Amino acid sequence: MRRLYLITRDLHLYVGLFLSPFVLVFSVSVFYLVHGLAQRPAPNQTAPSRIVTNLVVPPGLGGMQGRARVDALRPVLEQAGVTGEVDFVRHLPGEHRLIVPVRLPNRDTVVSLDYEQRTATITSRVHSLGDALVYLHKMPGPHNVDLRGNSRLMRWWRVLADVTAYLTLFITVSGIYLWVALRAERRVGLMLVVAGALTFGGLVYALAA
Amino acid sequence: MRSQREQPLSVDRVRRGALESFLVWNRRVHFYLGLYLLFFTWLFAFTGLLLNHPRWEFAQFWPDRVQSTTEHALEPMTAVADIDRARDVMGQLGMSGEVQWPASQPANGPFTFQVNRPGAIVDVKADLQAGLATVQRTELNGWGVLHVLHTFTGAPATDARNRRDWVLTTVWALSMDAVAAGLIVMVLGSYVMWFRLRARRLAGIVALALGVLSCGAFVGALGWVL
Repeated sequence: MRRLYLITRDLHLYVGLFLSPFVLVFSVSVFYLVHGLAQRPAPNQTAPSRIVTNLVVPPGLGGMQGRARVDALRPVLEQAGVTGEVDFVRHLPGEHRLIVPVRLPNRDTVVSLDYEQRTATITSRVHSLGDALVYLHKMPGPHNVDLRGNSRLMRWWRVLADVTAYLTLFITVSGIYLWVALRAERRVGLMLVVAGALTFGGLVYALAA
Repeated sequence: MRSQREQPLSVDRVRRGALESFLVWNRRVHFYLGLYLLFFTWLFAFTGLLLNHPRWEFAQFWPDRVQSTTEHALEPMTAVADIDRARDVMGQLGMSGEVQWPASQPANGPFTFQVNRPGAIVDVKADLQAGLATVQRTELNGWGVLHVLHTFTGAPATDARNRRDWVLTTVWALSMDAVAAGLIVMVLGSYVMWFRLRARRLAGIVALALGVLSCGAFVGALGWVL
């Protein structure tokens, strides 16, 4: 029993230390999200842009759909020097054009690709640290499931976001175990658990009932 | 009268006492906060997983939604402002929640708005001239309630018209702030507790550095490197 306690205590400490930067990222971004502070405006027409020509465009790109189109776009984006997560793709068939917003935590780039002329106009906008934290907080998220994770960055972040959630659950359970071992703090701790449960349950009931 | 030698000694003792007291309370605050915020932390960690895995079958809620449409007579109203008219209609229909406005109201059409709360989305179309309201209600199951609780702030960043207008949304938003602030205090307090453990300092530095590097790479560096 003593051995289990010591192992749990060390795991709680080291896992907690590894997890702490992620907890800070998710916690700080909460203030931005809750108070609508992260505007993350899209690049506009006045933002500086550059034009890339002679791109090698895969045949049939305009007729493709969904993830297949994003995967086919990836080499084109690399030729244009654009990296990040493709948010979505808008097709303007009349103009033979694909509008592709590509996102990094601190930068949004819009690629306007003319797949017949094989040229792309690229507009970028750099975002603040707050915007970057909010972006990471919300990603990968429940939207555009077929497309999400089309970049290496997002695939890794998906893993780390999951790891953060699982390790947070582990930290809470190991924390309870360590608290139970502290006889002197059991009564106060139990009162706080009950108070927390009542606050939480009362709020959820009032909101959802 | 105290000698000159006694003076700094007692000051030192007071300082040491204050430090001891801080360390004791820092430790207590760490697990007191953790225990009080336990259910909130479980909710946000678990629903974070649900939001990142929308294809998990067991947590589906949208296909299982229950929809109903009803019509209700409305009393004449004198309010002019949209939010007051919406509150009047909601009062008459016996509903409460966060009001969401459409991008624009139809020029000669019904007065339209949506009332949201975790577990229910209610679309209201009120013909104020005829005194008739059409109410379409969408009820979500427990998984839907959990999903919405994670994101229920009432203040979409990109929509200036829709501002928080329900007192319970404000309370929930403040709870989210409190949970976030509590977690930050716990993290900072844990650094103090760890640093006092000389035997675990080196391994702790390795664990913390791994976390900082892997997290920091996503927050900043990847943005410039990739």
